[in-house]
Amino acid sequence: MKTDRELIQEFQRGSDAAFNELVRRYLDLVYRFFQKITPDKMEAEDLAQTVFIKLFKALKKFRFESEFNTYLYRVNVNTANTYFKRNKWRNMLHLDQAPDTGYVETSQEKQWRKEEVWATVVRLPKKQRLVVMMRISQALSFKDIGNILDMTEGSAKVNYHHGIKRVKLLLGNNK
Amino acid sequence: MNFEEKLQKTFSSTSKMLDPEQFINNLTSTRYTQALKRSQAISGYLALIVVLFVCILGFNELDHGAILMDGSYYYSTSIDSDQNEDSEYFDDLALYIMEQEEDIWMAFSFLDELEYDKIVNLMEEES
Repeated sequence: MKTDRELIQEFQRGSDAAFNELVRRYLDLVYRFFQKITPDKMEAEDLAQTVFIKLFKALKKFRFESEFNTYLYRVNVNTANTYFKRNKWRNMLHLDQAPDTGYVETSQEKQWRKEEVWATVVRLPKKQRLVVMMRISQALSFKDIGNILDMTEGSAKVNYHHGIKRVKLLLGNNK
Repeated sequence: MNFEEKLQKTFSSTSKMLDPEQFINNLTSTRYTQALKRSQAISGYLALIVVLFVCILGFNELDHGAILMDGSYYYSTSIDSDQNEDSEYFDDLALYIMEQEEDIWMAFSFLDELEYDKIVNLMEEES
């Protein structure tokens, strides 16, 4: 089986088949990421498509300064950020009308929807938002988050700590 | 259950994944559509630039020497000099006709038809 690097190099030499192989390899990862961002499957598919279109353009000039995996996460996060900015007001205004596809809890614990959590996360400062987004949606380690976002592991932990504290406050976890 | 686990559970998803081949087909057609739109937009901009360039050139050509004064256009001396040259040419032509034509009254009536009435003065100046 060819490595990511080999596939990218083939793609840079003009092989679209190599790019399609990368799509097959990473489609699940990308699609799962966006499924956690939005309850709408079509929207998640559109966002995944946006990521691969960006990759198609960017990989032609990819210099292997970072791992492809890391780069892909960055593209995912940036695309999600753009999506949140675009839908910030819509998410805030139509929160009550959104379909409930998130966590259904039968106990007395407070129940949240994805939209509700993301509407809270997007209100965080940029670094905190990115770290919290990666941690709660992908369950990545702080070391990986640090690599992806170009920060130290300690900085990722601190940002997460402040971010999650604020999310907790905004979601009213004390209920 | 701690707060982080609760959040992660919120995002747990069991929905089925996409068909990769279908996705690649959609992706390819979207890429081609975008590339087509981009090239159309570039062609459109280039055409617009050419049209603007031609318009500016045409306007400059038409506007050549025109001077706007009190809401009216006046023409510069370069056009006046052209008109003077034309006038001199007609004067010479008229004198030539008068000299060459045997029947001077025929020549007078011909110039009269052209509404050229400077011939008498010219002939006096010549003599």
